Amino acid sequence: MITVIVIALALCAVVLFYMAVRNRRKQAVQSLRPVDLAAFHTLLDRDDELFIKEKLPRSKFVRLKRHRIRVTVRYVARIASNASTVLHESENARLSPTPEVASTAEQVMELAAQIRVQCMLAIFKLSLEYAMPSLQLTPAMLVPTYQTLRENVRRLGDLQTQNAIPLANAI
Amino acid sequence: MPLGSLIHDLWVAGFALQVLLAGVLLAKRAWRKYPLFTAYIFFNLFETAAALSVYRMHAYFYTFWICEAIGIFLGLAVVREIFTNIFAPHPALRKLAILVFRVAVVALVLLACGAIYEQSVSAKTIARVVMVATDGTRIVELGLIMFLFLSSSAFGLHWRQNEFGIALGLGTCAAVELINVTLMTHLSPAAGQIFSVVRSFSFNFSLLIWLGYLLFPERATSSGELPKKAQLEQWNQAVTELINR
Repeated sequence: MITVIVIALALCAVVLFYMAVRNRRKQAVQSLRPVDLAAFHTLLDRDDELFIKEKLPRSKFVRLKRHRIRVTVRYVARIASNASTVLHESENARLSPTPEVASTAEQVMELAAQIRVQCMLAIFKLSLEYAMPSLQLTPAMLVPTYQTLRENVRRLGDLQTQNAIPLANAI
Repeated sequence: MPLGSLIHDLWVAGFALQVLLAGVLLAKRAWRKYPLFTAYIFFNLFETAAALSVYRMHAYFYTFWICEAIGIFLGLAVVREIFTNIFAPHPALRKLAILVFRVAVVALVLLACGAIYEQSVSAKTIARVVMVATDGTRIVELGLIMFLFLSSSAFGLHWRQNEFGIALGLGTCAAVELINVTLMTHLSPAAGQIFSVVRSFSFNFSLLIWLGYLLFPERATSSGELPKKAQLEQWNQAVTELINR
């Protein structure tokens, strides 16, 4: 039995490495994608969900909630992807000789890292809700944190005068 | 071509690739940033030279397995080195990553113990016992490399070209080695030669991966797809209005 698990582990590793190489090539041309935070907020609105729950039969509600979760996951994935790009783009700024630029870049990176962790948690919670639609585990912390990240990135962009396109505007 | 001479040719090719890789590491002064990986490569070079010099002698068995044991521990140290390098600029993630890393180590050690226990029943010769032990340590090594890839992907971290190449080469080699060692303990010793060929191929392939990633420069992230400033400002304004309504 364990032999089978070990062989499966090794084969999974080979698949994982292949995917990592493929994703790395994709990442090289990855760009920031804007996030409609208001629409995202609406999707997370519990009152809206309660209203739909009261008005619709259970089967329709379950179908609709799962659809909402799928859309929410796409938003979370987009936020996570943007945070990852910000992490990467801020790495050079962190090494800037100007202390203010370096310190702001560090703050931005820390916030982006926090968002990544929150996104992981959010996707985990959303997966649970997808499996059990009666659960209510909305990751409400994500919106304000993402908003703070955007403000910090804008500050970093202002400090770096050579920045032609401020990163904050893109996210 | 007889299998024995194919193994020998692969060894010689591997030795040449290792000399080339060692030269590249020296030229790029890689020991400053990757001291353990440099040590690992130079140790492998020494291992190949030592094994070639005592090939077909009684001392070969001991030389091979002693070097193999040291090589595995150096491989684990390289994994730790990459882990430290990847998470060094991210203090916010490091704590969580270390915690998950420790859990992964415990889980992998348990799996390795299970594998060793299951196979120890059939291990009646010293060679089999050594192979079973190698199997266990390879499980830990490969599992940790997988953890590196999974965690960096989950945290959205960007791998530098060299680190990615080091991990990829090490992982590919460890995966083939694990399949090799696991199956070898279940099959007849006659199958050993075929496994030696596979092993040499995978090691040479890893050497090519390391050479490739060290020699070719990193592709810059394309900023050409970033939207125009005016367009971005419009989007941002619309989103802000919607948020603040």
